[in-house]
Parts: sequence; structure tokens; C-alpha cells
Amino acid sequence: MNWFSRFLRPAHDAGAALDARQEQLLADWRQLPDSDQRRSHYRSRYVVIDVAVSSGDAHAARLLAIAAVAVVDGHIAFQDAWQLLLPDAAQAPGVAASPPATATEVPADSPMADGLLSFLGFVGKSPVVAHNARFIRRVMQRALAEYLGVRLRLPWLDLAWILPDLFREVDAGPERLDAWLEHFGIASIKRHDALSDAFATAQLLQIALAHAASKGFDTPASLRELEKARRHLHQSA
Amino acid sequence: MSNSAMETLVSACIQFLQAYPPFDRMEAAALRFLAERVRLLHYPKGARILSTEMGVAPALYIIHRGRVRAKSTVGLGSGEPTSSTLGPGQAFAIGALMAQRPTFGAYVANDEVFCYELPADDFFALTQKSSAFNLFCTQHIAGLLKQSQQQLQLQFAQRAAEQKTMNSPLAAVAKREVVSVAATASIREVVELMAARHLGSMVVVDEQEAPVGIFTLSDVLKRIVLPGTSLEQPIASVMSPAPATLPLAANAHDAALLMAMRGIRHVLAVDEGGRLRGVVSERDLFKLQGAGLRQIRHAIDAANSIEVLQHARRDVRQLSLTMLAEGVGAAEITQFISTLNDTVTRRIIELNLERHDLYGIDWAWLSFGSEGRDEQTFTTDQDNGIVFICTDIMDRELTQLRFLEFARDVNADLDRCGFPLCKGNIMASNPELCLTLDEWEERFARWVRTPEPQALLNATIFFDFRPLFGRFNLAHRLRLALFRQTRGNPLFLRMLAENALSVAPPLGRIRDFITDADPEHPGTIDLKKYGVRLFTDAARVFALANSVEATNTVQRLRRAGAVMNIAADDLAASIEGFNFVQLLRLRHQHFEQEQGRPGDNLIRPDDLNEIERRVLKEAFRQARKLQARLKLDYQI
Repeated sequence: MNWFSRFLRPAHDAGAALDARQEQLLADWRQLPDSDQRRSHYRSRYVVIDVAVSSGDAHAARLLAIAAVAVVDGHIAFQDAWQLLLPDAAQAPGVAASPPATATEVPADSPMADGLLSFLGFVGKSPVVAHNARFIRRVMQRALAEYLGVRLRLPWLDLAWILPDLFREVDAGPERLDAWLEHFGIASIKRHDALSDAFATAQLLQIALAHAASKGFDTPASLRELEKARRHLHQSA
Repeated sequence: MSNSAMETLVSACIQFLQAYPPFDRMEAAALRFLAERVRLLHYPKGARILSTEMGVAPALYIIHRGRVRAKSTVGLGSGEPTSSTLGPGQAFAIGALMAQRPTFGAYVANDEVFCYELPADDFFALTQKSSAFNLFCTQHIAGLLKQSQQQLQLQFAQRAAEQKTMNSPLAAVAKREVVSVAATASIREVVELMAARHLGSMVVVDEQEAPVGIFTLSDVLKRIVLPGTSLEQPIASVMSPAPATLPLAANAHDAALLMAMRGIRHVLAVDEGGRLRGVVSERDLFKLQGAGLRQIRHAIDAANSIEVLQHARRDVRQLSLTMLAEGVGAAEITQFISTLNDTVTRRIIELNLERHDLYGIDWAWLSFGSEGRDEQTFTTDQDNGIVFICTDIMDRELTQLRFLEFARDVNADLDRCGFPLCKGNIMASNPELCLTLDEWEERFARWVRTPEPQALLNATIFFDFRPLFGRFNLAHRLRLALFRQTRGNPLFLRMLAENALSVAPPLGRIRDFITDADPEHPGTIDLKKYGVRLFTDAARVFALANSVEATNTVQRLRRAGAVMNIAADDLAASIEGFNFVQLLRLRHQHFEQEQGRPGDNLIRPDDLNEIERRVLKEAFRQARKLQARLKLDYQI
């Protein structure tokens, strides 16, 4: 935990300082029923997430922003998007740099904990999708454990694994989100902005869902199977 | 926090939309309303985004990325589907949304397509919020109307093309499928064949298909029956040998000349090898000779007898069809029919004046109803009356008698020239409609003061009066008197408005149209009662309320609309809607009469093609708008 407290919230005591309201929010989230993985994509809610970090090394990275865009029943509604902009520790250590409009929602003494609770509230128990999910997952897991003492046990889906399987003819280089966006002509609102990339990835997911469905992978569970099989193949190869 | 995310995405969406019309000129607040409510959906290549079987269009679709192929089956008659491709920024299903019905045809994704979709309820809210967007949608509908009219005109243009001129080559004029027989065939075979196929003549050809003779029905009597020729004889023994032939490239004129020179009624068209390729009959050539507008007018003006006028009436009908074919609009055609009918009527009046001495009396012949509105179609019965001035009250009875005698003759002559007598006896020969100016004024005043049902009905017929012959200023004075009455009587206008609202546009909630209003003719819509009347009734109230002298519906809408601050686009859309209904009526009546049926106004929506149905529905929606204005103005 040292790396995290060093960069994010040096003075914070991990997972210990939740007040009653925050505990209640956390308990509410825990009590949410798990989502049904056997329903059609078009009857499911996915949450696509992306993060902005200070470096590509998960251990050294400082979390700058978290963004999430929901894909509900196959469509994206702008109301159903979420982001958290974190204080830039290098410039103003320990001070919340959230926009004024949201400052009232987040008590100044615990912006990170409240931000993550808000994140959990947005995600609910939906399957979480990302491109290059392993990295994002690691960063998010650590932050959630650090500040809320929560282990996020949600189904994760990684488009970096799923897309090459659905579009074998495309030579995008599986690691590169930009290559996929370019292939499908998806324009980014702002390059390397967490929300912009989450929105673009959500559109990739829409494409992936349609093509997966046409190949018989028509539920979140079946997509996970698809991903697992490919990982297994590659790791054993 | 989610607010800031939404804000970013909405801003990006607005930026995208602003690159395309009509969003580029939309009010900022309206655009934001739109961007906040759209959802982004993806369709893989080949997916049907929207099609007829999906039911009422649920949303407005704005293409964000990719191409969409729009297939619509609007081809007239041919049923040939037309398709177009839509790209980013283009919106679709506006027509279907506005009419709250399924789309026609289908929208299919051409590649990976992303669409912004605005739910129908938000779409309607947007049309309320944004005048720019509303204008765009209205123009879109107007575009549909135009498109449909072009289609209608195309259909008639094809018919016009079939109506060849005397300069057409025989290749175009001659009947192609000629039944011919060999010279060795027996008379019995030939006659049986002619009887079986209802043929008037038979061409006899040799082994090379070259015509060697012709045999006609009239030959049967002269050459077979009377001489008692055996039916087993070869046809060659009784045919007329060496028939007149012309090359296919010769024109109809050449054929007419040859017929005149040789006193024959058939000319055979042959190709370079001398082989039979067609037959032109005298009748075919007659059909080619149409009369032009000037000739008709001239003929009418010069006519000295009812017989000549009867011919002219037929020419009027023929020419109206040609105009319909040439793509002349309904307003012009109905105006044209009215003008020529006026000319015929005037000539009939003039001819009768030679036998009736009305010298020294100020009087005018009035038209009522559709004739008064210059909106006659192919089937119009008489609606007329007389107004005269009687300086001495003692002479009134006698003067009226003279006019009644005169009117009876005119009515009878009009009847003979194709204007049937009015079943409701709305004719100048009716003593109730042959009145002095004072009496007319008094009568109008009574209807306005006491707007009982019959008075309101009368108002819808007689208040559309128009002078046709005589002292036109009498009609003008009558009009001014009418306005004095109606202006001072808001109750009357309210009642007239209520009367206009008693018939609603036949738009169904579930089906497109209500077609069971008339139990005797299920599946049909009476385009007079449930079509033009909706427009004419509203226009009449507008005109009377705003002292607009015009009786013509289009003119009334234009002039009153300007005073009433109706937006120019709305006005244009109403007028287009009215004209479209008229055009459908004209076409229907013409086809009915071609089939030998009396021309009625009962059209069968199921028989219309998709775009006609769509446009008819829009026309009814325009009528509904006019009615809504009446409701608003009179708080009904």
C-alpha cells in the first residue's frame, strides 16, 4: 500500500476512516444483487471504464482520473456517464481539484473515498469492460482496497482480448486501442482523456456486442468464455 | 461528478451536430435539448435500422457514422424500389414520425453504423421548442409533396407520350400485334378468327410475311353474304388486293394523306423487307388530333349553336387531361376548367339573350359552390343564380318572371352541354335564387343573424358567389353587404367555424385512414366531403372574418393567411395539401369516366401507392392544422 498512499493521499489511513454515511453507501452497494450474466447483451448493462494515470507502470502510477460510460440494452445515453477528476498531487498535494459544481457533493476531507463510493454507485454490479483491463483493474482494485477496504468482485471483460477474436481479419495489434478506434473510424473527443477514451471504448463494445451476438456469443457470460478461451490458447501457446 | 461527464459528451455531440443542417441553424437551447436526449446506437453492416414491419417510427435517427441505405418503394405503378444512401449528419424517418406511422421501405446499415436516436416524444417536444427544426421538418414534408406530385405528373406524362402527334412515325402509332392470315386460309377460318377476336379487319400475307391483301368486316356483306360465296373458298378470292403500305418511318400525316387519296381506312406499315409490322386505322389517326386551348376558346366564342358548344365541352375535357399529363398543377387545371366552363356558360347566356329581351335591366349571372370558387373538377353540376335591380317595386314580379323564363332556357342548355341540372335545384330558374339585390342582401343578412343549420349550409354554398355575366358590380355590392353583416356578428362566424369542424380529417389512430365513414362504400374516402371540404370550409371562415373578397380557396388562404399571421411555410404546406387532394380527385374522376363510370370522389387508399398515401396523410394533417386554428380563434 505504500506506493498508493505516497501518491494519492499521504495522510489517509487505509480503509479506516469511513463515516456512518459512507459506511451506509458501501453497505447499500454490497447488498445489490449480482447482475444476471445469462441475459442478452441487449437486456444487460455494461460499464466501460478507463483511467488516466501519471505513468504506465501500475506500481508507480498516480491516479488522475476515472471515467465510466454505461452501455445499457446496447445503447449509450449521455446521462449514463460518470467521471472523477482527482487532485493533481504534484501541484496541490492533498487538495481536491474537483469542479466547483461537484465540490459540494464531496466533502473536502474525503474526496477519494466519496469519489470511489460514487464510482461503485454508478457501476453497481454490472460487468465492467475496458481495453487492456488488467492494468486498469489493478489500479482500481488497489484504490478501492486502500480507501474503502473493498474487493471488487465483478466480472471484467477485456476488449483487447475479445476484439481480435471477433475480427480475426483485422491486424490491429491487440494491445493498441488507437489501432482499433482507427479501424472502425471512431473519433476520440480528446486524445488520452479518460472519459473520451471510455466513450470511444464503449462504442467499440457496441460493435463487439453486435458481432459477438451474430456469432452466438450473445450474453455477458458467453463473452467471458470467449475471452477465457483466447487467453488460455495464447498462454499455452 | 456524473454531471461533468455528461456535459463533456453532450458538448461533443453538439459540436458534431453543428456541422450539419438543420442543426447548424438551430437555437442553442434546442440543440442542447436534442443532444441531452439522444442515445447512441450501433448497427452492424446489413442490419435493418427501421422498416415498415417495425411499426410506428419510434425515434428520429441522425447518422453519426457510417452509411445507411434507404430503400423506398415509391415507384409509381412500376413498383420499382428506389434507394438512396444517407451519410453522417443526415436524419431520417421525419415523415413517418410526423405522421406517427410506420416508415415506408427500409433503412439498412451499409457498414458499421452509429446513429443518434431521439425518442418520438422528445422529437415532438423539439419541433415545439425550435422553429428552425420545425421549419426543417415542414420543408421536408413539403419536399415529399413535391416529390409525389412529380410522380403523379410522370404517370400522366407517360400517358401523354402515348398520345402521339401527327408527326409521330408509324412505328409509334401503328398497332404492333397484327393478326394476319395466309392467302390460302379459307374464308370460314378468317371470319371465325375475326369474330373470335373482335377484329374489324384482317391482313392477308404471303410466305415472306409481305401483305398481299386486306379483308374488312364490310367486305363480309358485299363479297360473301350477298353474292353467296362459299365459306370454303380461299380468302384471297374475296380480299382487297394490293393494300396500301407505308414504311415504318413514314409518319401519321403520310398515312392520313394516303387514306384521303385512296379513300381507304387502313394503311399497313411494313419494314425494309416489305414484311407486315403494323396497321394504322383512320380511327387511330383521329385520336392523334387534339385541340389546343386557343382553338377551343375560339370555337366557343364563335359557336352559334348548342351543338358546337357540346363539342367544345368535350374538347375542354380532353385538354384538361393533356394538362394533367403535362404536369400542370391542380390549382391551374381547376382554374382552367372553370375558365373554359365560364366561357361556355357565357356563350350559352349570350345565345339565349338573343331570344330573351332583358334590355335596360341591371342584372348579373352568379355562380355558387365550387364553380363560384373556381374549383370545378370533371364532374360538376350547375350551381347558379341571378341578381337583378328593380327600380320600381311594382315591376318586381314581372321582371322576375322574365328572368325565370330566361334562366330556364339557360339551365336547359347548360344541361345539354354537360353541366347536369342541380339535384338540389340550386339554379337560376328557381324563384328563390332569382332575386333582386335587396332581396339577396336581406337573405344573406337573415342567414348571418340566425345561423340555424340550414342557414349555415346555405352560407357554405351561396357565400362563395362569383359573377359570371352581366353587371359584375352587383356582385361586388352584395359582397360588401355580406362583410358588413359578418363583421358585426362574431356569433355567426363562430357557428360557421363549428360547422367547418363538424367533419374531421379521416386520419385513423391505428390505421392510416378512416375509410368506413360511408357504410355503402367501405374502404373508401370521399375526397370531397372528407377532403377538399376541410380546406374550403376553413378558408371560408378565414375569408369572411378578414373581409377577403376572393372566393377561391387557395387565394382565400393566401390573403387571409397574410392578415392572420400564419407562417408562410405553414400556408404553403396547407395549399400544397389542398392542391394534392384536388389532384387526386381530378385523376380519380378522369379514370372513372374513362371506365365509363360516373366520376365520383370515392378514392380507395389501398389503391394508392405508398408515397401517395403518405402525402395524402400529410395533406390531412395540414387540414387538421387549419382546423386547429379555427378552434383556437373561436375557442371551440
